[in-house]
Amino acid sequence: MTDLSRPISVDPPYDVPDYKSTHLRAPKEKLLELPPSLYDTPGPYVPAGFIRDKDTDLTIHGKGAPLGERMVVTGRILDADGKPVRRSLVEIWQANASGRYHHPVDTHDAPLDPNFHGMGRMLTDDEGRYRFITVKPGAYPWLNHPFAWRPAHIHFSLLGNAPIQRLVTQMYFPGDPLLALDPVYMSVPDEEARKRMICALDLQAGIEGDALGYRYDIVLAGAKATPLGI
Amino acid sequence: MLRTPSQTIGPFFHEALRWAGGERVRFAEPGEAITLTGRLLDGAGETLADSLIETWQLSPSGKIPAAGSGETHPHGLGRVETDKNGVYRIETLMPGSSGSGPPFIDVMVFARGLLKPLRTRVYLADEARVRADPLLKPLAGSPRIGTLIAKRDGSVFHWDIRLQGVGETVFFAT
Repeated sequence: MTDLSRPISVDPPYDVPDYKSTHLRAPKEKLLELPPSLYDTPGPYVPAGFIRDKDTDLTIHGKGAPLGERMVVTGRILDADGKPVRRSLVEIWQANASGRYHHPVDTHDAPLDPNFHGMGRMLTDDEGRYRFITVKPGAYPWLNHPFAWRPAHIHFSLLGNAPIQRLVTQMYFPGDPLLALDPVYMSVPDEEARKRMICALDLQAGIEGDALGYRYDIVLAGAKATPLGI
Repeated sequence: MLRTPSQTIGPFFHEALRWAGGERVRFAEPGEAITLTGRLLDGAGETLADSLIETWQLSPSGKIPAAGSGETHPHGLGRVETDKNGVYRIETLMPGSSGSGPPFIDVMVFARGLLKPLRTRVYLADEARVRADPLLKPLAGSPRIGTLIAKRDGSVFHWDIRLQGVGETVFFAT
């Protein structure tokens, strides 16, 4: 049975033979076991003034609309006890609809979209909810192995309300045949845990006649610490 | 509930996770200005030019830092990218201690090839004081404890992080 008291147990290992970049970056020494309570302290606190109004809509940063399938991604950030993670920072980044990042090291020969930079951030509300308007990212090739393609995904960074809750993950789309072939997605050993990273189509969460809706809830480690500032 | 698994930050996070002033850690109180800097190295001794370092620490008086609700940036939190030479650098204030323990800064390393971040901490004190920290008891007598201690040069603390191999930094499993 999964030991929920050790939040590390659902995570991938550091050294994953099929994911080449892990080989020289995974520590070889045994990690020092420390009590989880050490990181179950309040903070960091991100004030509301850190967010600008336009940060939640990724489609309004150019002269016109970006290319691609418009979508809403929304959900709740919860802790392992199902409690909402309130007023905590959510940051996202993604490729454009052609599978190209607005980033100097992306050399994939797919077109950049001058109307799409692919980044957003917001604070969750008192129910732990977040919501971004964006376009569906495209899949793209990478150099891990011959014919390697990353499945379409949106990167999520969550600060949580205690250091133990800090999480960076990726959201994938349902029914993507690339998932089973992707060493990053497949690095999570447990199938149920892997499915946690797949969003669900939810038309009502979209915008009628305008944007498809996807629901994606994220579960962080449980924290007993009382959040700062809220 | 089953927690959402960690995935790598990948190589394309920079603009999205870049904060104006992320390399200058803020506090509500004055303190001793210090710089923490060093290189991030892999198992072949190559520097990592595509990584993100986050730091979290107590305020100079030993309190958990918290920005006021009207402010625009978090307090106590540092976020910096490594540069093309694999060097990170943060400007902060000397952390206070809770109790008699040696001052330290919590550090998380994120990078392409790290499917979950590496947690560690850097001590800003001499080795005798660090060895007295009960948390590090499992490292008693081990030279590896030295990988957690920065070298002081005036107001600058130098601390390299080695992900793998000779001199591998002690990382934490929590």
